[in-house]
Amino acid sequence: MNRRALFVASYLAPAAVLYGLFVLVPFVQTFQLSFFSFRGVSSERRWVGPQYYQALATDEVVPKVLAHLGFLLIGGGLCALVMAMVTAHALQENTRLARFVRGVFLFPQVVSVVAVAVMWQFLYAPNGGLINGFLRAVGLGGMAKSWLGDTTWALPAVGVAWVWFAVGFYIMLFAAGIKGIPAEIGEAASLEGCFGWKRFVSITWPMLWSVRRVAVVYVAVNVFNVFALVNVMTNGGPARATETFLTYIYEQGFSASKFGYASALAIVNLAVILVVTFALGAMFRKNPEGART
Amino acid sequence: MKKLASNVWLTLFGLSVVVPLLWVAMSSLKKGADILASPWSLPTQPQWSNYASAWQQAEFSRFFLNSLIASTATLLILLPVGSMAAYVLARYPFRGSKLVRGVFLFGMMFPNFLAIVPLYLLMSQLGLTDSLVGLVLVYVAYSLSFTIFVMGGFFEALPGELAEAAMMDGCGHHATFWKVMLPLARPGLVVTGIFNGIGLWNEYNLAKVLVQKQEVMTLPLGLARLTATQFYQSDWGALFAGLVIVMVPVLVIYWFFKEKVQDAMLAGAIK
Repeated sequence: MNRRALFVASYLAPAAVLYGLFVLVPFVQTFQLSFFSFRGVSSERRWVGPQYYQALATDEVVPKVLAHLGFLLIGGGLCALVMAMVTAHALQENTRLARFVRGVFLFPQVVSVVAVAVMWQFLYAPNGGLINGFLRAVGLGGMAKSWLGDTTWALPAVGVAWVWFAVGFYIMLFAAGIKGIPAEIGEAASLEGCFGWKRFVSITWPMLWSVRRVAVVYVAVNVFNVFALVNVMTNGGPARATETFLTYIYEQGFSASKFGYASALAIVNLAVILVVTFALGAMFRKNPEGART
Repeated sequence: MKKLASNVWLTLFGLSVVVPLLWVAMSSLKKGADILASPWSLPTQPQWSNYASAWQQAEFSRFFLNSLIASTATLLILLPVGSMAAYVLARYPFRGSKLVRGVFLFGMMFPNFLAIVPLYLLMSQLGLTDSLVGLVLVYVAYSLSFTIFVMGGFFEALPGELAEAAMMDGCGHHATFWKVMLPLARPGLVVTGIFNGIGLWNEYNLAKVLVQKQEVMTLPLGLARLTATQFYQSDWGALFAGLVIVMVPVLVIYWFFKEKVQDAMLAGAIK
Protein backbone atom coordinates (compact mmCIF):
# COMPACT_ATOMS: atom_id res chain seq x y z
CA MET A 1 0.00 0.00 0.00
CA ASN A 2 1.43 3.36 -0.90
CA ARG A 3 1.63 6.24 1.54
CA ARG A 4 -1.36 8.09 0.17
CA ALA A 5 -3.59 5.04 0.46
CA LEU A 6 -2.32 4.36 3.95
CA PHE A 7 -3.04 7.95 4.91
CA VAL A 8 -6.56 7.83 3.48
CA ALA A 9 -7.33 4.52 5.15
CA SER A 10 -6.03 5.58 8.53
CA TYR A 11 -8.02 8.83 8.45
CA LEU A 12 -11.22 7.09 7.47
CA ALA A 13 -10.85 4.17 9.85
CA PRO A 14 -11.98 5.69 13.18
CA ALA A 15 -15.15 7.17 11.68
CA ALA A 16 -15.85 4.03 9.66
CA VAL A 17 -15.49 1.72 12.66
CA LEU A 18 -17.76 3.80 14.92
CA TYR A 19 -20.32 4.44 12.22
CA GLY A 20 -20.30 0.86 11.03
CA LEU A 21 -20.55 -0.70 14.47
CA PHE A 22 -23.18 1.57 16.01
CA VAL A 23 -25.17 2.81 13.01
CA LEU A 24 -24.93 0.56 9.96
CA VAL A 25 -24.79 -2.86 11.61
CA PRO A 26 -27.77 -2.18 13.90
CA PHE A 27 -29.69 -0.73 10.99
CA VAL A 28 -29.18 -3.90 8.93
CA GLN A 29 -29.88 -6.07 11.97
CA THR A 30 -33.27 -4.46 12.35
CA PHE A 31 -34.29 -6.22 9.11
CA GLN A 32 -32.83 -9.47 10.38
CA LEU A 33 -34.41 -9.25 13.82
CA SER A 34 -37.85 -8.67 12.37
CA PHE A 35 -37.80 -12.30 11.15
CA PHE A 36 -36.67 -13.86 14.42
CA SER A 37 -38.23 -14.66 17.73
CA PHE A 38 -35.74 -13.21 20.13
CA ARG A 39 -36.22 -12.37 23.75
CA GLY A 40 -33.54 -11.28 26.16
CA VAL A 41 -29.93 -10.66 25.44
CA SER A 42 -28.42 -14.12 25.61
CA SER A 43 -31.32 -16.35 24.54
CA GLU A 44 -31.40 -18.03 21.15
CA ARG A 45 -32.90 -16.62 18.04
CA ARG A 46 -35.58 -18.65 16.33
CA TRP A 47 -36.55 -18.00 12.71
CA VAL A 48 -40.23 -17.18 12.52
CA GLY A 49 -40.44 -15.85 8.98
CA PRO A 50 -42.88 -13.05 8.24
CA GLN A 51 -44.94 -13.86 11.33
CA TYR A 52 -44.47 -10.42 12.88
CA TYR A 53 -45.46 -8.70 9.69
CA GLN A 54 -48.64 -10.79 9.61
CA ALA A 55 -49.35 -9.90 13.22
CA LEU A 56 -48.72 -6.27 12.39
CA ALA A 57 -51.34 -6.32 9.66
CA THR A 58 -54.01 -7.16 12.24
CA ASP A 59 -52.58 -5.06 15.09
CA GLU A 60 -55.25 -2.51 15.84
CA VAL A 61 -52.72 -0.03 17.21
CA VAL A 62 -51.02 0.37 13.82
CA PRO A 63 -53.97 2.07 12.05
CA LYS A 64 -54.30 4.36 15.07
CA VAL A 65 -50.65 5.29 14.87
CA LEU A 66 -50.98 6.00 11.16
CA ALA A 67 -54.07 8.13 11.73
CA HIS A 68 -52.32 10.13 14.46
CA LEU A 69 -49.28 10.74 12.30
CA GLY A 70 -51.55 11.66 9.39
CA PHE A 71 -53.33 14.15 11.62
CA LEU A 72 -50.06 15.68 12.82
CA LEU A 73 -48.68 15.73 9.28
CA ILE A 74 -51.68 17.39 7.66
CA GLY A 75 -53.10 19.44 10.52
CA GLY A 76 -49.92 20.28 12.38
CA GLY A 77 -47.76 20.48 9.28
CA LEU A 78 -50.15 22.80 7.48
CA CYS A 79 -50.44 25.08 10.52
CA ALA A 80 -46.68 25.20 10.96
CA LEU A 81 -46.02 25.93 7.29
CA VAL A 82 -48.68 28.62 6.96
CA MET A 83 -47.60 30.32 10.19
CA ALA A 84 -43.97 30.09 9.14
CA MET A 85 -44.65 31.55 5.71
CA VAL A 86 -46.64 34.46 7.14
CA THR A 87 -44.03 35.15 9.80
CA ALA A 88 -41.08 34.91 7.43
CA HIS A 89 -42.84 37.32 5.07
CA ALA A 90 -43.58 39.77 7.90
CA LEU A 91 -39.99 39.53 9.16
CA GLN A 92 -38.60 41.24 6.06
CA GLU A 93 -39.33 44.60 7.70
CA ASN A 94 -36.55 46.07 9.75
CA THR A 95 -38.61 47.39 12.63
CA ARG A 96 -37.76 46.93 16.28
CA LEU A 97 -40.58 44.37 16.53
CA ALA A 98 -39.24 42.35 13.61
CA ARG A 99 -35.74 42.41 15.08
CA PHE A 100 -37.15 41.15 18.38
CA VAL A 101 -39.04 38.28 16.74
CA ARG A 102 -35.95 37.42 14.67
CA GLY A 103 -34.08 37.10 17.95
CA VAL A 104 -36.49 34.73 19.66
CA PHE A 105 -38.35 32.74 17.00
CA LEU A 106 -35.89 29.85 17.14
CA PHE A 107 -35.92 29.50 20.94
CA PRO A 108 -38.43 26.62 20.93
CA GLN A 109 -36.24 24.74 18.43
CA VAL A 110 -33.02 24.99 20.39
CA VAL A 111 -34.26 24.17 23.88
CA SER A 112 -34.67 20.52 24.82
CA VAL A 113 -37.83 18.86 23.50
CA VAL A 114 -38.23 17.33 26.94
CA ALA A 115 -38.35 20.81 28.48
CA VAL A 116 -40.88 21.85 25.84
CA ALA A 117 -43.00 18.79 26.66
CA VAL A 118 -42.87 19.41 30.41
CA MET A 119 -43.73 23.06 29.93
CA TRP A 120 -46.75 22.25 27.78
CA GLN A 121 -47.88 19.63 30.25
CA PHE A 122 -48.18 22.42 32.78
CA LEU A 123 -49.75 24.85 30.32
CA TYR A 124 -52.43 22.20 29.72
CA ALA A 125 -52.88 21.36 33.42
CA PRO A 126 -56.61 21.05 34.17
CA ASN A 127 -56.50 23.34 37.21
CA GLY A 128 -54.23 26.33 37.14
CA GLY A 129 -52.75 25.67 33.71
CA LEU A 130 -52.37 28.87 31.70
CA ILE A 131 -54.63 27.65 28.91
CA ASN A 132 -57.65 26.88 31.06
CA GLY A 133 -56.91 30.02 33.06
CA PHE A 134 -56.99 32.06 29.87
CA LEU A 135 -60.26 30.45 28.72
CA ARG A 136 -61.89 31.16 32.09
CA ALA A 137 -60.58 34.73 32.07
CA VAL A 138 -62.16 35.48 28.68
CA GLY A 139 -65.47 33.86 29.65
CA LEU A 140 -64.95 30.57 27.84
CA GLY A 141 -64.63 28.60 31.07
CA GLY A 142 -66.96 25.98 29.63
CA MET A 143 -64.22 24.96 27.20
CA ALA A 144 -61.70 24.39 29.97
CA LYS A 145 -60.84 20.73 30.23
CA SER A 146 -58.18 18.23 31.07
CA TRP A 147 -56.61 18.57 27.63
CA LEU A 148 -54.11 15.76 27.84
CA GLY A 149 -56.45 13.44 29.72
CA ASP A 150 -59.20 13.62 27.12
CA THR A 151 -59.11 11.06 24.30
CA THR A 152 -60.55 13.58 21.82
CA TRP A 153 -58.38 16.56 22.73
CA ALA A 154 -55.06 14.95 23.67
CA LEU A 155 -53.85 14.60 20.07
CA PRO A 156 -54.74 18.16 18.98
CA ALA A 157 -53.14 19.38 22.21
CA VAL A 158 -49.93 17.51 21.41
CA GLY A 159 -50.21 18.90 17.89
CA VAL A 160 -50.28 22.48 19.17
CA ALA A 161 -47.20 21.84 21.29
CA TRP A 162 -45.51 20.30 18.23
CA VAL A 163 -46.31 23.35 16.10
CA TRP A 164 -44.96 25.65 18.83
CA PHE A 165 -41.76 23.65 18.88
CA ALA A 166 -41.37 23.12 15.13
CA VAL A 167 -42.47 26.37 13.50
CA GLY A 168 -39.18 28.22 14.03
CA PHE A 169 -37.31 25.86 11.77
CA TYR A 170 -39.66 26.58 8.87
CA ILE A 171 -39.57 30.33 9.51
CA MET A 172 -35.80 30.10 9.18
CA LEU A 173 -36.11 28.04 6.00
CA PHE A 174 -38.58 30.44 4.37
CA ALA A 175 -36.64 33.50 5.54
CA ALA A 176 -33.53 32.07 3.88
CA GLY A 177 -35.58 31.42 0.74
CA ILE A 178 -36.92 34.98 0.71
CA LYS A 179 -33.39 36.31 1.16
CA GLY A 180 -32.42 34.25 -1.87
CA ILE A 181 -34.92 36.04 -4.11
CA PRO A 182 -32.82 38.23 -6.42
CA ALA A 183 -32.69 41.82 -5.22
CA GLU A 184 -33.65 43.22 -8.65
CA ILE A 185 -37.00 41.46 -8.48
CA GLY A 186 -37.70 42.94 -5.07
CA GLU A 187 -36.63 46.41 -6.22
CA ALA A 188 -38.74 46.20 -9.34
CA ALA A 189 -41.71 45.18 -7.22
CA SER A 190 -41.14 48.10 -4.85
CA LEU A 191 -40.95 50.52 -7.76
CA GLU A 192 -44.23 49.17 -9.06
CA GLY A 193 -45.72 49.73 -5.62
CA CYS A 194 -46.13 46.03 -5.00
CA PHE A 195 -46.19 45.38 -1.26
CA GLY A 196 -47.91 43.24 1.32
CA TRP A 197 -50.34 40.58 0.22
CA LYS A 198 -50.00 41.36 -3.51
CA ARG A 199 -46.25 41.07 -3.28
CA PHE A 200 -46.58 37.85 -1.35
CA VAL A 201 -48.85 36.24 -3.95
CA SER A 202 -47.03 37.49 -7.03
CA ILE A 203 -43.42 37.24 -5.92
CA THR A 204 -42.63 35.59 -2.60
CA TRP A 205 -44.87 32.53 -2.97
CA PRO A 206 -43.93 31.56 -6.55
CA MET A 207 -40.23 32.23 -5.92
CA LEU A 208 -40.16 29.91 -2.94
CA TRP A 209 -41.10 26.68 -4.70
CA SER A 210 -37.83 24.88 -4.03
CA VAL A 211 -37.76 25.85 -0.35
CA ARG A 212 -41.39 24.83 -0.07
CA ARG A 213 -40.53 21.36 -1.26
CA VAL A 214 -37.74 21.01 1.30
CA ALA A 215 -40.11 22.28 3.99
CA VAL A 216 -42.85 19.81 3.17
CA VAL A 217 -40.48 16.85 3.14
CA TYR A 218 -38.99 18.04 6.43
CA VAL A 219 -42.41 18.26 8.01
CA ALA A 220 -42.94 14.59 7.18
CA VAL A 221 -39.54 13.58 8.52
CA ASN A 222 -40.06 15.60 11.71
CA VAL A 223 -43.55 14.26 12.33
CA PHE A 224 -42.37 10.67 11.96
CA ASN A 225 -39.57 11.52 14.39
CA VAL A 226 -41.94 12.58 17.17
CA PHE A 227 -40.98 10.66 20.28
CA ALA A 228 -39.81 12.74 23.23
CA LEU A 229 -42.76 15.13 23.06
CA VAL A 230 -45.34 12.34 23.29
CA ASN A 231 -43.27 10.10 25.55
CA VAL A 232 -43.06 12.86 28.15
CA MET A 233 -46.45 14.56 27.73
CA THR A 234 -48.80 11.59 27.45
CA ASN A 235 -46.72 8.45 26.94
CA GLY A 236 -49.04 7.65 24.04
CA GLY A 237 -52.19 7.83 26.14
CA PRO A 238 -54.89 8.24 27.18
CA ALA A 239 -56.01 4.90 25.72
CA ARG A 240 -53.38 5.21 22.94
CA ALA A 241 -54.97 8.45 21.73
CA THR A 242 -51.54 9.98 21.04
CA GLU A 243 -49.52 6.87 20.18
CA THR A 244 -46.94 7.39 17.43
CA PHE A 245 -44.71 4.91 15.64
CA LEU A 246 -41.71 5.62 17.81
CA THR A 247 -43.56 5.50 21.12
CA TYR A 248 -45.14 2.21 20.05
CA ILE A 249 -41.77 0.80 18.98
CA TYR A 250 -40.35 1.87 22.32
CA GLU A 251 -43.19 0.23 24.23
CA GLN A 252 -43.04 -3.03 22.30
CA GLY A 253 -39.26 -3.22 22.36
CA PHE A 254 -38.37 -2.01 25.80
CA SER A 255 -41.43 -2.39 28.01
CA ALA A 256 -42.67 -5.67 26.52
CA SER A 257 -39.22 -6.90 25.33
CA LYS A 258 -40.73 -8.00 22.02
CA PHE A 259 -37.58 -7.23 20.08
CA GLY A 260 -38.66 -8.95 16.87
CA TYR A 261 -42.03 -7.25 16.78
CA ALA A 262 -40.51 -3.85 17.56
CA SER A 263 -38.04 -4.37 14.71
CA ALA A 264 -40.83 -5.24 12.30
CA LEU A 265 -42.60 -2.05 13.38
CA ALA A 266 -39.42 -0.09 12.72
CA ILE A 267 -39.17 -1.52 9.21
CA VAL A 268 -42.79 -0.67 8.46
CA ASN A 269 -42.15 2.81 9.85
CA LEU A 270 -39.19 3.18 7.48
CA ALA A 271 -41.31 2.03 4.54
CA VAL A 272 -44.06 4.53 5.41
CA ILE A 273 -41.53 7.37 5.74
CA LEU A 274 -40.01 6.56 2.37
CA VAL A 275 -43.40 6.38 0.65
CA VAL A 276 -44.66 9.60 2.25
CA THR A 277 -41.51 11.64 1.60
CA PHE A 278 -41.26 10.44 -2.00
CA ALA A 279 -44.94 11.20 -2.58
CA LEU A 280 -44.60 14.68 -1.08
CA GLY A 281 -41.37 15.29 -2.96
CA ALA A 282 -43.07 14.35 -6.21
CA MET A 283 -46.15 16.47 -5.48
CA PHE A 284 -44.01 19.53 -4.87
CA ARG A 285 -41.41 18.85 -7.52
CA LYS A 286 -42.62 21.07 -10.34
CA ASN A 287 -41.33 24.57 -10.63
CA PRO A 288 -44.67 26.33 -11.14
CA GLU A 289 -43.06 29.19 -13.05
CA GLY A 290 -41.15 26.88 -15.30
CA ALA A 291 -44.30 25.02 -16.20
CA ARG A 292 -46.12 28.17 -17.22
CA THR A 293 -43.51 29.74 -19.48
CA MET B 1 -53.47 48.60 7.04
CA LYS B 2 -51.26 45.80 5.75
CA LYS B 3 -48.46 47.00 7.91
CA LEU B 4 -50.79 46.90 10.88
CA ALA B 5 -51.88 43.33 10.15
CA SER B 6 -48.30 42.17 9.89
CA ASN B 7 -47.36 43.97 13.11
CA VAL B 8 -50.29 42.46 14.97
CA TRP B 9 -49.29 39.02 13.73
CA LEU B 10 -45.65 39.48 14.71
CA THR B 11 -46.66 40.71 18.14
CA LEU B 12 -48.95 37.74 18.75
CA PHE B 13 -46.38 35.31 17.42
CA GLY B 14 -43.56 36.82 19.45
CA LEU B 15 -45.68 36.70 22.60
CA SER B 16 -46.65 33.07 21.99
CA VAL B 17 -42.95 32.20 21.91
CA VAL B 18 -41.84 34.28 24.83
CA VAL B 19 -44.74 34.20 27.30
CA PRO B 20 -44.62 30.46 28.09
CA LEU B 21 -40.85 30.63 28.55
CA LEU B 22 -41.08 33.68 30.81
CA TRP B 23 -43.87 31.97 32.73
CA VAL B 24 -41.56 29.02 33.37
CA ALA B 25 -38.77 31.34 34.51
CA MET B 26 -41.13 33.29 36.76
CA SER B 27 -42.74 30.18 38.20
CA SER B 28 -39.33 28.76 39.06
CA LEU B 29 -39.07 31.52 41.69
CA LYS B 30 -42.47 30.87 43.27
CA LYS B 31 -43.46 28.56 46.08
CA GLY B 32 -44.18 25.17 44.53
CA ALA B 33 -47.82 25.16 45.58
CA ASP B 34 -48.43 28.64 44.12
CA ILE B 35 -47.33 27.74 40.60
CA LEU B 36 -50.70 26.40 39.53
CA ALA B 37 -52.74 27.84 42.39
CA SER B 38 -52.14 31.40 41.18
CA PRO B 39 -50.37 31.01 37.84
CA TRP B 40 -50.39 34.69 36.87
CA SER B 41 -49.17 36.20 40.12
CA LEU B 42 -45.61 37.40 40.41
CA PRO B 43 -43.49 35.64 42.99
CA THR B 44 -44.00 37.49 46.26
CA GLN B 45 -40.58 36.52 47.48
CA PRO B 46 -38.16 34.94 45.02
CA GLN B 47 -37.73 31.34 46.13
CA TRP B 48 -34.10 30.77 45.23
CA SER B 49 -34.31 27.67 47.39
CA ASN B 50 -36.12 25.99 44.45
CA TYR B 51 -32.80 26.03 42.62
CA ALA B 52 -30.97 24.65 45.62
CA SER B 53 -33.43 21.79 45.96
CA ALA B 54 -33.34 21.04 42.22
CA TRP B 55 -29.55 21.12 42.26
CA GLN B 56 -29.15 18.98 45.38
CA GLN B 57 -32.20 16.88 46.35
CA ALA B 58 -33.44 16.34 42.80
CA GLU B 59 -29.83 15.68 41.76
CA PHE B 60 -29.73 18.11 38.87
CA SER B 61 -26.09 18.72 39.75
CA ARG B 62 -25.38 15.12 38.75
CA PHE B 63 -27.53 15.28 35.61
CA PHE B 64 -25.85 18.54 34.67
CA LEU B 65 -22.40 17.04 35.12
CA ASN B 66 -23.37 13.93 33.14
CA SER B 67 -24.74 16.06 30.31
CA LEU B 68 -21.63 18.21 30.34
CA ILE B 69 -19.34 15.17 30.26
CA ALA B 70 -21.36 13.40 27.56
CA SER B 71 -21.58 16.47 25.30
CA THR B 72 -17.98 17.59 25.74
CA ALA B 73 -16.43 14.14 25.41
CA THR B 74 -18.53 13.48 22.31
CA LEU B 75 -17.37 16.72 20.70
CA LEU B 76 -13.73 16.06 21.60
CA ILE B 77 -13.88 12.74 19.74
CA LEU B 78 -16.36 13.70 17.07
CA LEU B 79 -14.68 16.82 15.71
CA PRO B 80 -11.25 15.29 14.94
CA VAL B 81 -12.65 11.92 13.82
CA GLY B 82 -15.33 13.53 11.67
CA SER B 83 -12.95 16.13 10.21
CA MET B 84 -10.35 13.51 9.30
CA ALA B 85 -12.92 11.44 7.44
CA ALA B 86 -14.49 14.50 5.81
CA TYR B 87 -11.05 15.72 4.73
CA VAL B 88 -9.95 12.57 2.93
CA LEU B 89 -13.40 12.10 1.40
CA ALA B 90 -13.34 15.67 0.10
CA ARG B 91 -9.73 15.94 -1.08
CA TYR B 92 -8.38 12.46 -1.67
CA PRO B 93 -10.78 10.92 -4.17
CA PHE B 94 -10.31 7.18 -4.60
CA ARG B 95 -12.33 4.49 -6.28
CA GLY B 96 -15.55 4.22 -4.30
CA SER B 97 -15.02 7.40 -2.29
CA LYS B 98 -18.35 8.79 -3.50
CA LEU B 99 -20.04 5.65 -2.30
CA VAL B 100 -18.34 5.82 1.10
CA ARG B 101 -19.43 9.44 1.42
CA GLY B 102 -22.98 8.49 0.47
CA VAL B 103 -23.05 5.74 3.09
CA PHE B 104 -21.93 8.22 5.74
CA LEU B 105 -24.55 10.78 4.70
CA PHE B 106 -27.27 8.14 4.66
CA GLY B 107 -27.36 8.40 8.44
CA MET B 108 -28.86 11.91 8.16
CA MET B 109 -31.88 10.53 6.34
CA PHE B 110 -33.35 8.01 8.72
CA PRO B 111 -34.58 8.38 12.29
CA ASN B 112 -32.08 6.78 14.65
CA PHE B 113 -34.91 4.88 16.30
CA LEU B 114 -34.98 2.54 13.31
CA ALA B 115 -31.82 0.90 14.62
CA ILE B 116 -32.64 1.20 18.28
CA VAL B 117 -33.48 -2.43 19.13
CA PRO B 118 -30.29 -3.99 17.74
CA LEU B 119 -28.30 -1.05 19.09
CA TYR B 120 -29.67 -1.67 22.57
CA LEU B 121 -28.89 -5.41 22.33
CA LEU B 122 -25.37 -4.65 21.13
CA MET B 123 -24.73 -2.18 23.92
CA SER B 124 -26.01 -4.66 26.51
CA GLN B 125 -23.69 -7.33 25.16
CA LEU B 126 -20.76 -4.94 25.34
CA GLY B 127 -21.76 -3.95 28.87
CA LEU B 128 -22.10 -0.35 27.70
CA THR B 129 -25.63 0.41 28.80
CA ASP B 130 -25.95 2.66 31.84
CA SER B 131 -22.53 4.01 30.98
CA LEU B 132 -21.40 7.44 29.88
CA VAL B 133 -18.64 5.82 27.81
CA GLY B 134 -21.27 3.86 25.91
CA LEU B 135 -23.42 6.94 25.46
CA VAL B 136 -20.47 8.95 24.12
CA LEU B 137 -19.52 6.25 21.60
CA VAL B 138 -23.08 6.08 20.32
CA TYR B 139 -23.37 9.87 20.22
CA VAL B 140 -20.17 10.16 18.18
CA ALA B 141 -21.40 7.52 15.75
CA TYR B 142 -24.81 9.15 15.28
CA SER B 143 -23.34 12.65 14.90
CA LEU B 144 -20.82 11.65 12.23
CA SER B 145 -23.17 12.00 9.24
CA PHE B 146 -23.93 15.64 9.84
CA THR B 147 -20.35 16.46 10.82
CA ILE B 148 -18.84 14.81 7.75
CA PHE B 149 -21.42 16.52 5.56
CA VAL B 150 -20.71 20.03 6.85
CA MET B 151 -16.94 19.67 7.28
CA GLY B 152 -16.72 18.10 3.82
CA GLY B 153 -18.32 21.24 2.43
CA PHE B 154 -15.73 23.42 4.16
CA PHE B 155 -12.78 21.32 3.00
CA GLU B 156 -14.05 21.29 -0.58
CA ALA B 157 -14.30 25.06 -0.54
CA LEU B 158 -10.66 25.56 0.53
CA PRO B 159 -8.35 26.38 -2.40
CA GLY B 160 -6.39 23.30 -3.46
CA GLU B 161 -3.19 25.31 -4.03
CA LEU B 162 -2.86 25.78 -0.28
CA ALA B 163 -2.55 22.05 0.32
CA GLU B 164 -0.19 21.69 -2.66
CA ALA B 165 1.99 24.53 -1.41
CA ALA B 166 2.16 22.94 2.02
CA MET B 167 3.13 19.59 0.50
CA MET B 168 5.85 21.31 -1.59
CA ASP B 169 7.22 22.88 1.55
CA GLY B 170 7.81 19.42 2.85
CA CYS B 171 4.71 18.98 4.95
CA GLY B 172 3.50 15.40 4.80
CA HIS B 173 -0.15 14.48 4.47
CA HIS B 174 -0.56 14.62 8.25
CA ALA B 175 1.07 18.00 8.77
CA THR B 176 -0.81 19.46 5.81
CA PHE B 177 -4.06 18.44 7.43
CA TRP B 178 -3.37 19.37 11.05
CA LYS B 179 -1.26 22.49 10.50
CA VAL B 180 -2.78 24.01 7.36
CA MET B 181 -6.15 22.66 6.30
CA LEU B 182 -7.85 22.03 9.64
CA PRO B 183 -7.02 25.49 11.04
CA LEU B 184 -8.39 27.02 7.82
CA ALA B 185 -11.62 25.08 8.28
CA ARG B 186 -12.06 26.44 11.80
CA PRO B 187 -15.35 28.21 10.96
CA GLY B 188 -16.67 24.78 10.04
CA LEU B 189 -15.52 23.35 13.35
CA VAL B 190 -17.30 26.15 15.18
CA VAL B 191 -20.54 25.60 13.26
CA THR B 192 -20.55 21.81 13.68
CA GLY B 193 -19.35 22.05 17.27
CA ILE B 194 -22.07 24.43 18.38
CA PHE B 195 -24.82 22.71 16.45
CA ASN B 196 -23.86 19.24 17.62
CA GLY B 197 -23.29 20.55 21.13
CA ILE B 198 -26.85 21.89 21.37
CA GLY B 199 -28.26 18.68 19.92
CA LEU B 200 -26.25 16.53 22.32
CA TRP B 201 -27.19 18.63 25.34
CA ASN B 202 -30.84 18.07 24.46
CA GLU B 203 -30.59 14.46 23.27
CA TYR B 204 -33.29 12.22 24.66
CA ASN B 205 -34.22 9.28 22.39
CA LEU B 206 -30.97 7.32 22.49
CA ALA B 207 -30.26 8.10 26.13
CA LYS B 208 -33.78 7.06 27.11
CA VAL B 209 -33.09 3.57 25.79
CA LEU B 210 -29.45 3.22 26.78
CA VAL B 211 -29.58 4.67 30.30
CA GLN B 212 -31.83 3.51 33.15
CA LYS B 213 -29.68 4.19 36.21
CA GLN B 214 -30.19 7.53 37.83
CA GLU B 215 -26.47 8.05 38.40
CA VAL B 216 -25.85 8.05 34.65
CA MET B 217 -28.87 10.13 33.58
CA THR B 218 -28.38 13.29 31.53
CA LEU B 219 -30.46 16.43 32.06
CA PRO B 220 -33.34 15.59 29.70
CA LEU B 221 -33.68 12.14 31.26
CA GLY B 222 -33.52 13.54 34.78
CA LEU B 223 -36.08 16.20 33.95
CA ALA B 224 -38.46 13.69 32.37
CA ARG B 225 -38.07 11.38 35.36
CA LEU B 226 -38.67 14.14 37.87
CA THR B 227 -41.76 15.24 35.95
CA ALA B 228 -43.14 11.72 35.87
CA THR B 229 -42.73 11.33 39.64
CA GLN B 230 -43.77 14.86 40.62
CA PHE B 231 -46.56 15.84 38.25
CA TYR B 232 -49.37 14.61 40.47
CA GLN B 233 -47.94 16.15 43.60
CA SER B 234 -48.11 19.84 44.15
CA ASP B 235 -44.60 20.90 44.99
CA TRP B 236 -43.28 21.94 41.63
CA GLY B 237 -40.72 24.55 42.61
CA ALA B 238 -37.73 22.30 42.05
CA LEU B 239 -39.20 20.98 38.81
CA PHE B 240 -39.52 24.48 37.33
CA ALA B 241 -36.04 25.35 38.53
CA GLY B 242 -34.90 22.17 36.76
CA LEU B 243 -36.62 23.31 33.56
CA VAL B 244 -34.71 26.58 33.69
CA ILE B 245 -31.44 24.73 34.35
CA VAL B 246 -32.03 22.62 31.21
CA MET B 247 -33.03 25.51 28.96
CA VAL B 248 -30.76 28.39 29.90
CA PRO B 249 -27.36 27.04 28.77
CA VAL B 250 -28.56 26.37 25.21
CA LEU B 251 -30.38 29.68 25.00
CA VAL B 252 -27.24 31.54 26.06
CA ILE B 253 -25.11 29.68 23.52
CA TYR B 254 -27.74 30.21 20.85
CA TRP B 255 -27.90 33.92 21.63
CA PHE B 256 -24.17 34.37 21.03
CA PHE B 257 -23.95 32.16 17.97
CA LYS B 258 -27.33 32.75 16.31
CA GLU B 259 -26.02 32.93 12.76
CA LYS B 260 -23.82 29.87 13.15
CA VAL B 261 -26.66 27.78 14.54
CA GLN B 262 -28.97 28.87 11.75
CA ASP B 263 -26.27 28.19 9.13
CA ALA B 264 -25.86 24.70 10.51
CA MET B 265 -29.59 24.00 10.54
CA LEU B 266 -29.95 25.28 7.00
CA ALA B 267 -26.90 23.36 5.82
CA GLY B 268 -28.62 20.14 6.72
CA ALA B 269 -31.83 21.15 4.99
CA ILE B 270 -30.85 22.86 1.74
CA LYS B 271 -28.46 20.48 0.08
